[in-house]
Amino acid sequence: MASGRKPARPRTGLLLIIVAACAAIAIPATIVMFSMAARSISPWFGKYDHQAREAYDFQLTDHNGSPFQLRNLRGNIVLLAFGFTNCPNICPSTLAALANVARRLPLEAQERLRVVFITIDPERDTPEKLKAYVPFFDKRFMGLTGDPATIAAVAKAYGAYFKKAPPAEDNPADYMVDHSTSVQLIDPEGKLRLSFRFDQLPETDQIVGDFLRVLGPETATETNGETLPESQPSAARAR
Amino acid sequence: MKFLVAILAALSLSFAAHGADIEINDPWIRAVPPSSSATAGFFVIVNKSAAPISLVGAEAPISKDIRPMVTTKISAGGKDVMGMEFVDRLTVEAGKSLALVPGGDHLMFMKLADVPAAGSVVPVTLIFETPSGRKSLAIRAPVR
Repeated sequence: MASGRKPARPRTGLLLIIVAACAAIAIPATIVMFSMAARSISPWFGKYDHQAREAYDFQLTDHNGSPFQLRNLRGNIVLLAFGFTNCPNICPSTLAALANVARRLPLEAQERLRVVFITIDPERDTPEKLKAYVPFFDKRFMGLTGDPATIAAVAKAYGAYFKKAPPAEDNPADYMVDHSTSVQLIDPEGKLRLSFRFDQLPETDQIVGDFLRVLGPETATETNGETLPESQPSAARAR
Repeated sequence: MKFLVAILAALSLSFAAHGADIEINDPWIRAVPPSSSATAGFFVIVNKSAAPISLVGAEAPISKDIRPMVTTKISAGGKDVMGMEFVDRLTVEAGKSLALVPGGDHLMFMKLADVPAAGSVVPVTLIFETPSGRKSLAIRAPVR
C-alpha cells in the first residue's frame, strides 16, 4: 500500500551499511581463501569438481543388447569415455590407457571399476560392433549405443562435443567423427567428481591414485604398501 | 663369425631403420580389435640431411591405403576437441625430428586387409620425398 510506505532514505542507508559490512568481511575472506587454494597443491591429478554435480542418468543399450541404466552402477566408480569404433587413434589410445589403469588397481578396487564407452556414432556402432571392439581392450569394459537423439542428449549433459567430418568422396559411409576426448569419473554416490584430459591418460599411476582417493583411505593404503595422501578437507566438504 | 656379427647387427637394428639421411626410431602399430577397419602407426623420423624431407605414404601387406594424418585440436566450449585430417605430407625440416605419437601425427592404415595381432611385426616401407627424389625406407613395426 502506497500510503503505508515509510520514507525510503533511512532504509537505503541501513542497507548500504549492511552491504558494506558484508563486503568488508567477504572480500578479504575470499582473497585469503583464493590465496590459500593457490598455495596448497591439489592432491588430485585430474580436474577435481568441488561442485560434485549429480551425474546425468541415462538409459542406453549395452554391447550385449541389454538395457543399460547408469544409476545401476551406484556403489562403483565409473570412468566414462565417448568415442566411436572406426576411430583409429584417439579412442584406441584412450581405451588402452584405461585398460592399463584397470590392470594396475588392487584387485579389490578393480571390482569397483566400471569403464563405459559411449559411441557418438550410433548410426554405425551397433551393439555387435561395440562388442567386437570395447572388450578387446579389457573384457570388463562396456560399450553403449542408443538412438542418435538420446546419444546427443547424453553427450550434451556430459559436455562432450562431437561432429561428423565430411565423408570420403567414394563412400558416404566412410567418415570420421571429431570429438572431445576427456574421461569423466563418477563416484560411488553418482556424482561427477573428476575429469582427465586425453594427454593425462597415459599417467596410469596418477589416475590409479585419484581412483583410490575417491574410493576412500582404507583402500588407498593398499597399493604396493605405499600410503597415498588422504583427501583434503575441501574434498570431504564437497561430499 | 662374419655371419654372426651380421645377425647381431641386424637384430640390434631390427626396430630402428637408417637410410643415409633418414632415421626411423621406435616404430610400433597400435593393436586394435580384429573387427577394426583402421589402425595407426607411430615412430620418430629423424632427418639428418641438410634439406627438408616429407613422409608422403607407405606400403605394407596389411593395407593398400596408408596415409599420413595429423590430429587437430580445437577448443569448443572450453573442451578440447580432437579431429583428424589427411595430409599429403608430413615434413621434417633439416636436422630436425618429428615424433608420430598417439593423439598426434600418425600414419593411418585404412581398409585393413589383415588386422595385425598384438605381438606380431609388420613390415612397412615408408616413402619419403627428398630434394633428390623419392626414397623408400623399410622398417619393421611391432604391434602392441
